[in-house]
Amino acid sequence: MRSRRRFVQQLVGGAGAVVASSLGAQSAPPPSTQMATDAYRPVLRPAKAGATPQVTDDQRDALEHRIKCQCGCILDVYTCRTTDFTCSTSPAMHRDVLRLVAGGYTEQEILDAFVETYGEVALTAPKKEGFNWAGYVAPGVVLAVGGIALTVLLRKWRAEAQRAAAQAPAAPLARGAALPGVSDDELARLDRAIREEG
Amino acid sequence: MILVGELSLWIALLMCAWSATLSFAGGRLRRTDLIHSGERGLYAGFGFVVLASAGLWTALLTSDFSVRYVASFTSANLPTIYKISAFWGGQAGSMLFWCLILAGYAALATWVNRRDNRALMPWVTGTNALVLLFFVATTVFASNPFERLDWVPADGRGLNPQLQNPAMAVHPPLLYLGYVATAIPFGFAIAALITRRLDAEWLGAVRRWSLVSWVFLTLGIVLGMWWAYVELGWGGYWMWDPVENASLLPWLTGTAFLHSIMIQEKRGMLRKWNVTLVVTTFLLSILGTFITRSGVIQSVHSFAQSAVGHWFATFFVLALVATIILVAMRLKDLESPAQLEAMISREAAFLYNNLVLVGIAFSVLWGTLFPILSEWVRGTKITVGESFFNAVNVPLGLLLLALTGIGPLIAWRRASVANIRKQFAGPAALGVIAASALFVLGIRALYPLMTWGLAAFVAGTIVQEFWKGIGARRTMYGEGIPRATIRLVARNRRRYGGYIVHAGIVILFAAFAGMAFRKEYDVTLRAGESTTAIDPFGRRWTFTSEGLSEFKALNRDVLTVALRPTVEGRPLPILTSEKRQHRDSRGQPTFQPSTEVGILTQQRQDVYLVLAGAIGDQAEIRINFNPLVAWVWHGGILMAFGGLIVMWPPSMRRRRQEGYVAELAPQAVPASV
Repeated sequence: MRSRRRFVQQLVGGAGAVVASSLGAQSAPPPSTQMATDAYRPVLRPAKAGATPQVTDDQRDALEHRIKCQCGCILDVYTCRTTDFTCSTSPAMHRDVLRLVAGGYTEQEILDAFVETYGEVALTAPKKEGFNWAGYVAPGVVLAVGGIALTVLLRKWRAEAQRAAAQAPAAPLARGAALPGVSDDELARLDRAIREEG
Repeated sequence: MILVGELSLWIALLMCAWSATLSFAGGRLRRTDLIHSGERGLYAGFGFVVLASAGLWTALLTSDFSVRYVASFTSANLPTIYKISAFWGGQAGSMLFWCLILAGYAALATWVNRRDNRALMPWVTGTNALVLLFFVATTVFASNPFERLDWVPADGRGLNPQLQNPAMAVHPPLLYLGYVATAIPFGFAIAALITRRLDAEWLGAVRRWSLVSWVFLTLGIVLGMWWAYVELGWGGYWMWDPVENASLLPWLTGTAFLHSIMIQEKRGMLRKWNVTLVVTTFLLSILGTFITRSGVIQSVHSFAQSAVGHWFATFFVLALVATIILVAMRLKDLESPAQLEAMISREAAFLYNNLVLVGIAFSVLWGTLFPILSEWVRGTKITVGESFFNAVNVPLGLLLLALTGIGPLIAWRRASVANIRKQFAGPAALGVIAASALFVLGIRALYPLMTWGLAAFVAGTIVQEFWKGIGARRTMYGEGIPRATIRLVARNRRRYGGYIVHAGIVILFAAFAGMAFRKEYDVTLRAGESTTAIDPFGRRWTFTSEGLSEFKALNRDVLTVALRPTVEGRPLPILTSEKRQHRDSRGQPTFQPSTEVGILTQQRQDVYLVLAGAIGDQAEIRINFNPLVAWVWHGGILMAFGGLIVMWPPSMRRRRQEGYVAELAPQAVPASV
């Protein structure tokens, strides 16, 4: 058992040696490569009087999906702590969540506590308030405006096509009168059939 | 060889400047000698970039640690395959790799068009040479892979363990092949704008290049997803990371272009829009590279840390302004006759498809850049993560999926009610039946239900189209089903290749929806202990630990856990997950420990094992059941395969007959033709 612990210590020690290395950072794109172990700040709140947990285990895990790990990776606390062996930030943040849950705080109160300590960067998605609404609304607005503009444009093009069609068959229809037994309806049907063929 | 490589990069820089200057001068003065000299300059530039690349590869393979790049990204004990792939493992090397691909593409585009599109080519060559000049200059002045160290270390730092993966040896080249290919259509668009030749001629030249870009981007993105899934250990394949978003952006606008180009070909409409899409796709490639290389996403303040970021920002702004001015000057030439017989027509469906694709591109770009905007406006850092992107993009994705089925079934120009009823009855019924059956089976989640219903609808439209085509061939030529299928696709590659791409999209979306039902278990096990878990299909699994073990491998120390799984009592192969500490040839640790996940792949789900930690002889383990993941890879491969079919050039005989409605039988073609 001792040997195993030493191995784990060596692994973590190796990480330290790497951080201290002076050869400069690699540009690896994956998450969790730029760990900032000093990024952790305790989120401490006194337990409520007669505190009982307001949050179930499943709700707690879901809540941790909404809190971003501050180690420098792009993962949430739950994913990071269950993935990254070397991250000491996400387990520490998890312990804060556990303490707050045990202290009788609700999900929203826990989120607010993290935001107070770290700022909005503690959340995996911005709060729906103030300027942040621009983030949520802009894609929908752009798409709606685009949709309306496109519909107006298509209607305009259709009106042009109808105008052109109204002018084009004028001559044949006039001649149609000279064709015995051919009605205007039949000519229009023929015209439509030819267009569909084209 | 290393010195030759370094010098070659400088000569390549001069060659690009020469080629750009003479090509533009030749085009302006209509002097063939200058044009040819500009083209030869580009070929020479390509040759020198190849030499520079050979120089870097030589340095990597001979472990010349006097070169900073080699010392930073390799070690003496790094396997040879990863010494080769270390070429694109770091920024300076990947810049040179970009130059290599761009120079190759530019030379190929010039050579392929040595007899065609001659009015456009001086401007195409000039633009390509100018873009290449930028990349070579950035490599030489801001990120030079041949930079020397003042001292020679005994060993290098090694390659990041997460990059020591076969997918990482292939994924970046494929992605770069896709990114860089967007430069060639951009060159043609600029040439068409300058020469005012904005008819279908330039579109014909760029369509295949756009497809090349699209196929490589598709493969690169899917392979990147696979790498993230097997290497990063968080159990998913897409996190809306800025790097991922950067690759998706040009793919989205490129896909929009491949649809809207058909409207210009068929109807002569949308000249402005097509030019805009081609230019936007290229600029998004540059913007994506800027975003991922500059560090601007972490913080606006970290932007200054990267010299490359400044170069890319400058180039992006210059290219954007130049293009806007050029388009503004050619607005009159870009006018095209636009008439639409009916709102319900394929043209309208394709335009709405374009709207959704560009809308998704905007939302991805907006979400990616919003943290920067927030920091600028409010001075407050925020995170825009997966939940934001999913909230915005999932509904748009479903709309796109629906349009994937609707567009191809509607007739060009005008669709009658009878036509719509006839075409949509079967597929729509299939979609409703599928969604209802899933509802009855207990699936209540709205998005997965909608996704699978729409997927069934789109699959129905594809099968219907194939069935009709095959039936027609069987009636006309009496062919069997396999032969009729092959010939149907071979004779109508664009159409049926496109349907195969759509089939890939359907599979991909259906697989994405599967992840809504993933299940996670966190357990701690000693050797001999077991845990049980219920998968998303309700089956009972038992995992028995074989214990932790340690061993040394080629360039790493390994801690591994082995689990023996059974499902409903039936034994399955052992699953292992590892923690690795890589070491250099002197035994010194390199990098942070990395995770190797264990994956048991089945068609219905993956069982995904992660060794999260070890306390004494106890292993902390996460077990995920990830439904339908295998189908993500199947769908991606099918999409790329369909793209290849669309892209495949017609045979010489068919090419000669292009433009004729009727195809001559071989015996009717005179021998002299």
